[in-house]
Amino acid sequence: MIRRSQVRARQLDAMGVRKLSLFGVGRARAQEWGSAYVLIAPAIAALAIFLVIPILASFALVFAHYDLLTPPRWAGLENLQQLLGDRRLRTVYWNSLQIVVGATFLNQVLGLLLAMGVNRAMPAFLRYLLRTALFFPVLTTTASLALVWRFILSQDRGVLNYILQQLGLAPLPWLTDPHLALVSVILYDVWKSCGYLMVLYLAGLQGIPDELYEAAKVDGANRLQLVRHITLPLITPTAFFATVISIIGAFQIFDNAFVLTGGGPGDATRTIAMYIYEVAFKRYDMGYASAVALTLFGVLVLLTLLQFRLSRHWVHYD
Amino acid sequence: MSRRQMLRLAAGAAASLALAACGGRQMGPGSAQGTPGASPTQAVVEQPPKEGAITIIATSQMPINTWKTALKEAQERYPDIRLKVTQTSIQGGWSAYADKIITQIAGGEQLDVIMIAIEGLALLSSKRVLRPLDEFIQADSEAYDTLHNDIHKTLREMMQYEGKQMEFPFSWNNMVIYYNTKIFQEEGLKPPSPDWTWNDFLGVCKQVANVRGTAKDRYAYSFWGAGMFGMCAWYFNNDTSPLTDDWQDSNMLDPKVAETLQFLVDLIRKHRVAPNPAGWDENAQFHAGHLVMRTCGRWCIGASLAEKFTSYDLQYQPHKAGPYKTVVGTDGWGIATMSQHPNEAWKAVKVLSGKTASRAMVELGGNIPALRSVAEEPAFREYGPENTEIFYESLDYARTVPSPPNFNIIEPILDRHYSTIWNGQKTVQEAVKLAHQELQAEMDKLKEESRSSRVFAASTTRTCPCQEARVQ
Repeated sequence: MIRRSQVRARQLDAMGVRKLSLFGVGRARAQEWGSAYVLIAPAIAALAIFLVIPILASFALVFAHYDLLTPPRWAGLENLQQLLGDRRLRTVYWNSLQIVVGATFLNQVLGLLLAMGVNRAMPAFLRYLLRTALFFPVLTTTASLALVWRFILSQDRGVLNYILQQLGLAPLPWLTDPHLALVSVILYDVWKSCGYLMVLYLAGLQGIPDELYEAAKVDGANRLQLVRHITLPLITPTAFFATVISIIGAFQIFDNAFVLTGGGPGDATRTIAMYIYEVAFKRYDMGYASAVALTLFGVLVLLTLLQFRLSRHWVHYD
Repeated sequence: MSRRQMLRLAAGAAASLALAACGGRQMGPGSAQGTPGASPTQAVVEQPPKEGAITIIATSQMPINTWKTALKEAQERYPDIRLKVTQTSIQGGWSAYADKIITQIAGGEQLDVIMIAIEGLALLSSKRVLRPLDEFIQADSEAYDTLHNDIHKTLREMMQYEGKQMEFPFSWNNMVIYYNTKIFQEEGLKPPSPDWTWNDFLGVCKQVANVRGTAKDRYAYSFWGAGMFGMCAWYFNNDTSPLTDDWQDSNMLDPKVAETLQFLVDLIRKHRVAPNPAGWDENAQFHAGHLVMRTCGRWCIGASLAEKFTSYDLQYQPHKAGPYKTVVGTDGWGIATMSQHPNEAWKAVKVLSGKTASRAMVELGGNIPALRSVAEEPAFREYGPENTEIFYESLDYARTVPSPPNFNIIEPILDRHYSTIWNGQKTVQEAVKLAHQELQAEMDKLKEESRSSRVFAASTTRTCPCQEARVQ
């Protein structure tokens, strides 16, 4: 079998630039590779230092007792056994699951509708204004916006309840009722994130050839039929990608709930990420926190694999 | 320039930037870095650099300007020390503050001198973050004299752990009722008496409250709803507490605990004279006249002065059962075991807990000074409303806020369950039962860890970031 390096070497020979060879690779090729690795070395180093090593350390800490101040001690399977009896873990996973389902569904629907809306023919300045306004929440920091929303949703002196009272309606306990607080966290996430999904879907929509729409119109298709038979099938690859990243992001929600409700009332809006933070940095139990993080990792891997498997049935690439 | 030369130049520039970023932070003495995440101009105050001086870094939750005059004094008294004081946020209470301190230490930040209140004292002491001050005090007659003759015994003992003096007391607080004198007069109410009861209090609430679900509502009273200190202001006046007297077990199943919580939740849900404490800005509402009474410590006087709000006075918490008690907590300065210059750190402790710093705190409207001599000065006595003297005179019947070593775990447990009571999610009986289960599990775990650590300490030599820790 001829290797790619050998093909490249023959090409360089033909061009007359091949010099001394080392392991069958020309010097020019080696220089090219060298430059490439030098350029990506900082990124690889950053990935290794801030991602790979902490992940490996986290896997190791699952089997240790570590309180940040004293060296880790071997714990065997104690941390994993603790997972089974942890009732709060089941509660926070249930909260996270509700947030994932609610936020993902609303983000996909709203993102697609907004993309279809801004993709229509309109004056350029209006299109620019709409896209900027809808994408702006994505650009700002989650925590600072959540602080503002906490004031807006405050029961006694919040803007939203003031408006409701002006309309003759009773004020609602947006952040202190366990059900409404969860809804508030979901709606905040949707408001913050749908702009990003709008951009994704916009790119997907603009990849659909216009000829398909024109041909369908010639055949007498109405607007609804165009969406149902052309837009939706051809947007499925984008929808698949958007769904995967939405689910992963929703499971990792931390700052929204932390700032809006602090996880309360009780544990009503405490997410799995908040629980990991609490165990690690309030209880100083890095071992058990790593075990909980491991379960989240497992859940995300399984969900992603499942989505890839299911995508064969509903994602159309041609 | 060829493509290859361009690529080499870009790679070199990227490498230079990466190395510059790595070298931007210095650790250890001499570092000019402030508290992580804090703006140096807002959260750090320090003496100017001096060649050969040893840098001592202290941290506190108090505003930075509290320490400016003390730093000048330190410069004059101890020219061999360069003192820097940072501010660590107390957002989230003392348990959150203790978490930040421990995270800073675990992250390798230099901390020589730490201020923490009793709520975090056992936590930091049990983790060997603080070193005992006994040897320093015994060798320093001035400090010994101050500690035993100018500081109340209760405050002194609050800063001890397992019989050792872990911190030098600096200030303390109790909780009293602030009430709006103008609204009381308008309603024809006499000022509450020092021995007023819960029934008297409820009667006042019903008279002054005007809650109709509009933007102009006036609530009679707002309580903390969370936080051990705020809730114990009510528990102690019903002769009960969330923990047993020895702080070893949960006391949540005491009927008086449920009685206290039921009284408070009835203020919200039955009598409608108090708001759900979650998210309620009682400071702003009290000054706006939408709240008639609140429970707070002396530190709230400063906020009222800042708002130029003077139509209020103070009274003891209403009483229900048992002897009259006021909840008390003390803070003080301690030396971190990680400090590489404990003798210099002790000098910093002396300055930061001395009269200069104490007076500055009083004048800024902070806590009650631990030094009796400062508390007797006009600056303290005349600061605030007419009844200010009840702050210091209550020390004789103070009861310490429960502060076991796992305070940072048990306080959030209680807060979580309290919030389910205030919003009606659970009844008082349901919530106390669940709180008791969690609380007792944590207290049992703490007792087990204490036993293990004593066995562990006796059998091994431990190394830890707290370099000078001694296995006791």
